[in-house]
Amino acid sequence: MSDLVIHVVDLVREYQMGAERIQALRGVSLEIRRNEYVAIMGPSGSGKSTMMNVLGCLDTPTSGEYWLAGQEVSRLSDDALARIRNREIGFVFQTFNLLPRATALQNVELPLVYGGVGGRDRRDRARRALERVGLGNRMDHRPNELSGGQRQRVAIARALVNEPAILLADEPTGNLDSTTSADVMRVFDRLQTQGQTIVLVTHEAEIAAHADRVVTLRDGRIASDLRQDRTRAA
Amino acid sequence: MLRNIDEGVLIALESLRVNKLRSTLTILGVVIGVATVMTMASIVEGIRTQVFNAVNAAVPNVFYVMRWFGATPFDPSNPPYEVRIRPVLTENDAAAIARAPLVRHAALWCRFSSRIEFEDSRTQITEVWGSDERFIELQGGTLLAGRLFAPSEVRTGAPVTILASDVARSIFGRLDPVGRYVRMGNRALQVIGIWHPPDNAFRQPGATTGAFVPYRMAKGSFRFDETRELFVVVLGDLSVSVGDVRDQATVALRRFRGLRPGLPNTFDTITQDQMLQMVDRLTGAFFLVMIALSGVSLLVGGIGVMAIMMVSVTSRTREIGTRKALGATRQESLWQFLVEAATLTLVGGSIGILVGLGMGEVMKAGLAIDARPPLWSAAAAVVVSIAIGLGFGLYPANRAARMDPVEALRHE
Ligand SMILES: Nc1ncnc2c1ncn2[C@@H]1O[C@H](COP(=O)(O)OP(=O)(O)OP(=O)(O)O)[C@@H](O)[C@H]1O
Ligand SMILES: [Mg+2]
Repeated sequence: MSDLVIHVVDLVREYQMGAERIQALRGVSLEIRRNEYVAIMGPSGSGKSTMMNVLGCLDTPTSGEYWLAGQEVSRLSDDALARIRNREIGFVFQTFNLLPRATALQNVELPLVYGGVGGRDRRDRARRALERVGLGNRMDHRPNELSGGQRQRVAIARALVNEPAILLADEPTGNLDSTTSADVMRVFDRLQTQGQTIVLVTHEAEIAAHADRVVTLRDGRIASDLRQDRTRAA
Repeated sequence: MLRNIDEGVLIALESLRVNKLRSTLTILGVVIGVATVMTMASIVEGIRTQVFNAVNAAVPNVFYVMRWFGATPFDPSNPPYEVRIRPVLTENDAAAIARAPLVRHAALWCRFSSRIEFEDSRTQITEVWGSDERFIELQGGTLLAGRLFAPSEVRTGAPVTILASDVARSIFGRLDPVGRYVRMGNRALQVIGIWHPPDNAFRQPGATTGAFVPYRMAKGSFRFDETRELFVVVLGDLSVSVGDVRDQATVALRRFRGLRPGLPNTFDTITQDQMLQMVDRLTGAFFLVMIALSGVSLLVGGIGVMAIMMVSVTSRTREIGTRKALGATRQESLWQFLVEAATLTLVGGSIGILVGLGMGEVMKAGLAIDARPPLWSAAAAVVVSIAIGLGFGLYPANRAARMDPVEALRHE
């Protein structure tokens, strides 16, 4: 039980579009244990992003249960969810979503700002997170002074800085070419070796090959859930 | 919550820098509104200070007794009933007041207008006081040359005068005026002294005190309004408050005029405080109008700020979503934009304060009044401009706070 980071039971997420009701998730049940490395795949529109949003507490399910690190979070208030996102979730987005005016260091500090960490402690932790993704020498650069791969690594450092229970990445390499994708995936791999639990959404088989479990969604349901021997770049 | 202020301030300053024209137009209303209030406050405070100085140039325990003291003007040749029923002040009234124990000195004085002429040169119509030998003691200033009135000259209303130094200079040039004769109306008066008025006295152009003469001289030879230009000047004992002296003087004059208890006074007493109060009442009305006018520009400014903040919120939708994903609560998102809005208006307010200060300097030079905006108006301007930012920023900030994080992150 204490090993279970994510436990969802019969998760349903419906959208009301005028008279029409769209079921993006039609009863998903899933368990993810600590230090697992999960890739979610599936065709476009199969509900991957919807799933990630619910898992990341950005969205709440229409029905079903969601236990995150032992706590039922599917019925919490907006502000309680904001607190959970701050403490337990690290997001990495396809489009990086860095603040353009802030330096790499300031971007990484942001979750700590909302977590109430101040002053020297905040800077030190942000600096260490940047060092973990290999950007110790780029702290004062702004996003437009960084390459795409470097930006995504800043975003990963930002996701890590609060030591979240889970790192969620929705197509983190979707905007990157294959070489920089490889850089970013190396970072994920290393974090996983260091104990981080990771869930990432991808369309690409090479990316999914880094994970040790691949969950495939189809029409809002889990079509397959397979363990695999991961391939790792040297 | 306060920990995010620096960031909001920086973002606001950044957007001011990047969108100079748009931002300038946005905060223009706030600038104008604040500058108007500051300027008006300067004028009002300047007038007030000058009245205060004029009144205060005299000793603090001086006050006046008049036939009538009121803010509403009337035709002196046909005063209203409530004024007419009051007797005109006399020297005997002054003597009765002078007998009150706490009164050190009381004398009937007057003011009239005349040109002052010497040979071919003459002044504009200027104010002349009919007073006694204690004029300088009670009104301030210094005697530069010559002497004050002798008691006998006061008693007999001798044809002598003491000139203000600027009047003396303008009609005598380099000549020494003392001992020479000037003309006022059809009277020839010997100059016996030169008086330098107090530096800070109320000196509107054309309303300066040009000279003074013995009261009885003035009374015998010049015409003046016996309601508003004739008064008893009273010097009270310094050891007690002016209010106590005024009460005693009131009792003394009532008794002298035979007023039974219950009957109203047939005269008014005016302390310096009351004069200031009257000035405040007059300027206060003026001030209210200006506040209303500047309120309109502040409103326009506020709406501008609301508009620019709506733009800011919309164009930063993804950023809002990102911040929420990283843990920003509703309140923190709200606060972020409130700080930004308040910074914009505070910048506007600060510029307004500077403009107001500048206007104050201009008026100081142009109107010859000491128009320096009071500290409170700057403080109020700061508070008001922040409040406008918070007030008008609330709607856009609230929109940001209520955004759904998923929607916001999906925004293009
Ligand atoms: N806000 C919304 N309102 C209505 N329908 C929505 C909304 N968000 C998603 N959907 C629908 O839910 C289904 C799942 O969408 P989702 O974004 O989860 O797909 P996805 O697997 O992430 O696809 P992609 O690979 O293209 O990113 C789709 O049919 C989509 O149209
Ligand atoms: Mg998607």
